Amino acid sequence: MKTFKVMEVKRSIFENNDRQADILRQRLKKDKVFLLNLMSSPGSGKTTTLMQTIQALKDEMRIGVMEADIDSDVDASKIATSGVKVIQLHTGGMCHLDADMTKQGLEGLGTNEIDLAILENVGNLVCPAEFDTGAVKNAMILSVPEGDDKPLKYPLMFSICDVLLVNKMDTLSVFDFDLKACEERVKKLNPNIKVIPISAKTGEGMEEWIIWLRKQVNEWKDR
Amino acid sequence: MHEISICYQIVETLEDVVKENHLEEVQKIVLEIGELANVVPMYMYECFPCAVEGTMFEKAELVIETVAGIGECKKCGNKYQLFPVEGICPLCGEKDFELISGREFNIKEIVAR
Repeated sequence: MKTFKVMEVKRSIFENNDRQADILRQRLKKDKVFLLNLMSSPGSGKTTTLMQTIQALKDEMRIGVMEADIDSDVDASKIATSGVKVIQLHTGGMCHLDADMTKQGLEGLGTNEIDLAILENVGNLVCPAEFDTGAVKNAMILSVPEGDDKPLKYPLMFSICDVLLVNKMDTLSVFDFDLKACEERVKKLNPNIKVIPISAKTGEGMEEWIIWLRKQVNEWKDR
Repeated sequence: MHEISICYQIVETLEDVVKENHLEEVQKIVLEIGELANVVPMYMYECFPCAVEGTMFEKAELVIETVAGIGECKKCGNKYQLFPVEGICPLCGEKDFELISGREFNIKEIVAR
């Protein structure tokens, strides 16, 4: 019988998920499907922003949405009214999605009929940042009422995103939100991030966001 | 909530290690977790038995080694533990630091045969 011995492992706990995420990204590349992972805290306006985004792009590309929530299907029902394909993913109490759950969601959505798949992650600024979902790009929404200090409190989330939408700009006059200070804090964590102030309600800034997203989708398909 | 899914990740990674090294039994699992890694070791200990239930790690002992969150002051170069001073250099009061350790999140070693 073999004896017990100490074996050095030295592997990141996230390694398995990171590998699955890379495999998923390669498959998306082959299938020419762009996956956007949209993250934010609850109540930042993810679903409203998504509705406006769908309206702007649905005539030029085939869109599918995955709504991840701990419970309920209120978001999925709302998105379904826009006419795009949507599925609800229940995380069963988990606070984030990992690559494997995302892969199952994409299979449910059927990627052969989709150009742009959007994953609305669980509303949470902590753990979704740690789990690579296999997305091509990560987007985050921070809304004005949440405060300009959030990059200081949740640095990892801001450092892994490619684009930050600062939403509810129409409420700026009633909150002590310093857009310049917020942008400086974000850029210090992540110099390459694109910051776009928007209001999903009034439509302010939405065009710049749509142009950015359209460019990303097209580059992914062509390259 | 978060800790249980991390425990499942550990099981999956260890299953690979077991396969690669043709191991029969794992007696002990040692993790190294930094103070800034967004994980509460106490919860890990509580979640771990659920995650390993029905796997070959069911009887394995879990040990968590904490790695201190250390920063190097960008102004005076002092190296200090971030947590007790909320990130502010105790020598010169500067807030800006280079993170040296504290985000570790690894399976360090196992005792196995």
